[in-house]
Amino acid sequence: MNDIVVRENTSIATVGVQDFVTVHLDGQQVGIPVLAVHDVLNAQQITVIPRAPDWVAGVLNLRGKIVTAIDLRRRLGLPPLEEGKSSMSVVVEHNEEPYSLQIDKVGEVLSLEDQLFEKNPVTLDPCWREVSVGIYRLKEQLLPILDVDRLLAFEGKSQAA
Amino acid sequence: MDDLLNEFLTETGESIDVVDVELVKLEQDPNNKEVLDNIFRLVHTIKGTCGFLGLPRLESVAHASENVLGKFRDGELQVSESSVTVILESLDRIKEILAGLEATEEEPDGDDSDLISRLDAIAEGGGAPVQQPEPEPDTVDGEIIDPGLGRSLKPGEVSLEELEAVFANTPGPDGSAATDEPTPSNSSSPNSGASLFDRIGGEDTLAVASHLIAQRVDTEAKLKKYFEGTNQDQRKGRFMGLMLALFQDDLDSADAVGRQLITVAGFDEAQFDGLLELIKSVLTECQVKAEAVDEAVMTFELVRDAVINASKAVTKPKADAAGRAKPGEKQQTTAPEARRTSQSIRVNVDLLEDLMNMVSELVLTRNQLLQITRNMDNSELGVPLQRLSQCTTELQENVMKTRMQPIGNAWAKLPRIVRDLTVDLDKKIELEMLGADTELDRQVLELIKDPLTHMVRNSADHGIEMPAERIAAGKPEAGAITLNAYHEGGHIIIQIKDDGRGISADKLSGKIIEKGLATEGELAGMSEAQIQKFIFHPGFSMAEKVTSVSGRGVGMDVVRTNIEKIGGTIDMVSTVGKGSSFSIKIPLTLAIVAGLIVKAQDERYAIPQISVLELVRATSAEKAGENDHKIELINDTPVLRLRNRLLPLVFLNEVLGFCTREEIEARENSDDFIVVSQVGAFTFGIVVDQVFDTEEIVVKPVAPILKELEFYSGNTILGDGSVIMILDPNGIANKANSSVSDAAAEEGSDETRVRVATGAEKESMLVFVAGADHPKAVPLSLVARLEEISVDSIEKSDGRLMVQYRGALMPLVLADPTVTLREKGSQPVLVFTDRQFTMGLAVDEILDIVEDELDIKLASEENGVIGSAVINGKASEVIDVTYFLGKAFPEWLASKDMSEDASVSRSFERLLVVDDSDFFRNMLRPILSVAGYNVTAVNCAEAALKLMESGAMFDIIVSDIEMPDMSGFEFARAVRENENWKDIKLVALSALSGEKDINRGFDAGFDDYVAKFDKDTLLRSLSQQFKIQGDAA
Repeated sequence: MNDIVVRENTSIATVGVQDFVTVHLDGQQVGIPVLAVHDVLNAQQITVIPRAPDWVAGVLNLRGKIVTAIDLRRRLGLPPLEEGKSSMSVVVEHNEEPYSLQIDKVGEVLSLEDQLFEKNPVTLDPCWREVSVGIYRLKEQLLPILDVDRLLAFEGKSQAA
Repeated sequence: MDDLLNEFLTETGESIDVVDVELVKLEQDPNNKEVLDNIFRLVHTIKGTCGFLGLPRLESVAHASENVLGKFRDGELQVSESSVTVILESLDRIKEILAGLEATEEEPDGDDSDLISRLDAIAEGGGAPVQQPEPEPDTVDGEIIDPGLGRSLKPGEVSLEELEAVFANTPGPDGSAATDEPTPSNSSSPNSGASLFDRIGGEDTLAVASHLIAQRVDTEAKLKKYFEGTNQDQRKGRFMGLMLALFQDDLDSADAVGRQLITVAGFDEAQFDGLLELIKSVLTECQVKAEAVDEAVMTFELVRDAVINASKAVTKPKADAAGRAKPGEKQQTTAPEARRTSQSIRVNVDLLEDLMNMVSELVLTRNQLLQITRNMDNSELGVPLQRLSQCTTELQENVMKTRMQPIGNAWAKLPRIVRDLTVDLDKKIELEMLGADTELDRQVLELIKDPLTHMVRNSADHGIEMPAERIAAGKPEAGAITLNAYHEGGHIIIQIKDDGRGISADKLSGKIIEKGLATEGELAGMSEAQIQKFIFHPGFSMAEKVTSVSGRGVGMDVVRTNIEKIGGTIDMVSTVGKGSSFSIKIPLTLAIVAGLIVKAQDERYAIPQISVLELVRATSAEKAGENDHKIELINDTPVLRLRNRLLPLVFLNEVLGFCTREEIEARENSDDFIVVSQVGAFTFGIVVDQVFDTEEIVVKPVAPILKELEFYSGNTILGDGSVIMILDPNGIANKANSSVSDAAAEEGSDETRVRVATGAEKESMLVFVAGADHPKAVPLSLVARLEEISVDSIEKSDGRLMVQYRGALMPLVLADPTVTLREKGSQPVLVFTDRQFTMGLAVDEILDIVEDELDIKLASEENGVIGSAVINGKASEVIDVTYFLGKAFPEWLASKDMSEDASVSRSFERLLVVDDSDFFRNMLRPILSVAGYNVTAVNCAEAALKLMESGAMFDIIVSDIEMPDMSGFEFARAVRENENWKDIKLVALSALSGEKDINRGFDAGFDDYVAKFDKDTLLRSLSQQFKIQGDAA
């Protein structure tokens, strides 16, 4: 029902309710449109790729498919996860390629009313502004929403990173 | 069964099935023009092809049905149930005949007159009163009046329009709807304007001629037996088809028909000539002009091979021939009814790709399961798993087979291309293709198609000379290009060979310099083969001028890139005047490859087996015994001595950024494994921590965001479920040493690269200590090997030190009288080799290898020392290896008399040394430069002449006599003939010092003749020559 609206992200503030998966990253909650999420996995064995951009955590085997793991903390300029803690994976797709976003842990699925949505404040860290669609004002805290496509639009950017 | 017939059966079978369905549709919706058109077109094609192949029964049935359909279409007849039934019946009949044809390769006997007459009756019944413009059955047994021929056609004959139509639509039923000419009309379709065709008199003449030829072959005693087994009508159809194709320049068809012509073995050149005679006489009889006749007969030469080869092929047992169905299809001789046309179906390539992917997954999962059960004790799973494993393997093999295609498919267009080129370029070229049935993955096939075409074009354009040139060079007028494909250990080797002019290093050099790919100095130091390989450089085109054929600057480098992209390698051998041979080595399939699993820093990686040459285990320097391999450093560059060669090394740990060099060295107490890899002609070693086994891996591409990492060619999932990266040796080589350009890359291949002094070029010097405190040095290029020889093995014999070395006695010479052999342990020895002479030079200690300018400041009067030079900031004595060689082998040096000091100051006279021996060039250069000459050295006479052409000037040329390709005598003559160089003094330097040789040298134009190895005489002679020159000036 809402999938078209969510995927296109353009008319997000028009009608009704959107569903988001919240994930925890360094104490901050972030929302990912629920329809963009293919899988949520527990800690996986990740093969690191030497010489790859540092926000590439490596590759992992998802039921016989090779999935590139993105270290979301690094991608968003957050400090790396403390030693000994394992990350969870949220598998999303971009340009028909599966990617796994490495996060601290998954929160819950929230249905949020559009009226809570607000555009990014202009003062937001450029690193975040680039990948955030906007912010939902929750009671306890604010929930930035990630744009998966923009997050994974690395083409031609890996040099800079 | 031959391919053509097979293809026909498959295609016709498919068409008929379509017609079946469409007819039923038509019945329900009689006014659907689209359906009707489609049916008409298909039936028309069937009819046309039948006639073309000489299948009279099929053709007459199809023709009669087509007639009825034609009337439907033109609205002259109403589609009725009864008429459709009859047409369906005729389709059934066609199927019957096809089945018979497939079983026996002959049309089965039978009478179709009843069916045909019924069809005709329908056509007549609703027939419009107007005169039918199209051929129409006028007798019950299906005789047809052909308007073009003006007489009735027999069943099996093809009306000319139909033949035309067939030629217009050769590709087959699909896609040609628009161009199809459904109604055979009296106005023949516009022919392609082939003048020969017109001059002969068009189709009419051909029809008469082919009729006559078909008749006459029966009466010609010599030819008769080769045409047994075909009736006159079949023959006529074939000759007609052949001539039409030939005269209209449709070579592909001509080739195909040519193969049909003879069905009896033993038809050879003589018989073909006989046939040509016959054709000639018939054409003349048909009142064709004499020149047109000659030209026409000439065109038959184009199919000579096809005809003769076809006859040869017949010699194979018939059964075998019948079994040779389409590749991939297995014969089922026991069940003839099973061999229906539907045996092969067309499958979408995407579907095959999907299938392949699924199977790959299956293989991975199977491996995973096997791995798990291996660690389990209960064997309950064992049996079913084994079965699963077996099935999976078979499935994998079969699916792979579906992707396999004969390489001939990629070559199919080449004969035509070559033929066109021969016309465009006025050359004569014969293309020979061997191993066309070698199969390889269609993905690979697609990828090599263009490179192959390009290379054959290149061979034809650049390789093969003009006929006149060839005759002048004593070669047959027609050049030969040979393609050869064969399997070799999991790879396919494709060779493209021509017997043309070869690749001239001289010409290339000019181009290389012009394009700034290398300097003259660098080139001078390269062997011919190295220079030739520049054609693989980006942006390098061989053609002297841009032709329409090639030479647009996208040349061999594109070919190379394409081939390397699919994990292949390309190599080339070319001899000037003899031709070039390229060989391409490509993996059988891209999807599943053998990979060597290695470890670096707790991570596993796969290296494609194709690029792995061997594995070497290296022991750390301290623990290494005499025979162990160990990693050594030259100025921080790690190398390995491997069978008389220095192998550059890269540390995988370092390349992948796991640790720095210091860390690697610090922990270097364990054994290292060296994977010797080859990228193109560049061989290098990858040092890894551990080597596991070889595994079949399914290559999966890396995610797009990792594409820029050139270290990896893909990734894969191993049996245990873990993902590992597949290393790309190419990328590692590039990254590890970005300076490994192609020129430098070659140096690892076969020979040690020898640097030649031109100006301030840097020279690798081996620095060592022998006797006195100050270091001594010798050009590294002169040193064959460095050895540590156990003192125990040093023996004294005949007052000289000897050591048994590599199965022979090697004399050992002290580098300095004050050098004392060690008491125990091993003695460092520099080994020098010149031809059969090998000697060891015992030194105290080997210090280092430094790259520095060799600029000898002070000439020495001491024996065995050329002079002193500043190397690495220290004054070092540069030793004279000739002196020591002379000492070890008295016969080596003609004279050891060093009495005269030749180092009289010279005002930098320019000296050119021409010698093919690397050793001598390197030896002479320091000696001569210390004597004050400005020395340029080249390795062959051709290179020297090239310098001459480029306008270089010298005062004296010192030339060897015995050189490959061009001897010193020839060289001298060439120099004397040149305007600019004719006055240059020429000194011959040769081991041939008999009186006769010397006289021959003077005759050739040498001013002096010095025995090789006689340093002093040479210096004396040189100063004398200069003096003469000075006096003359």
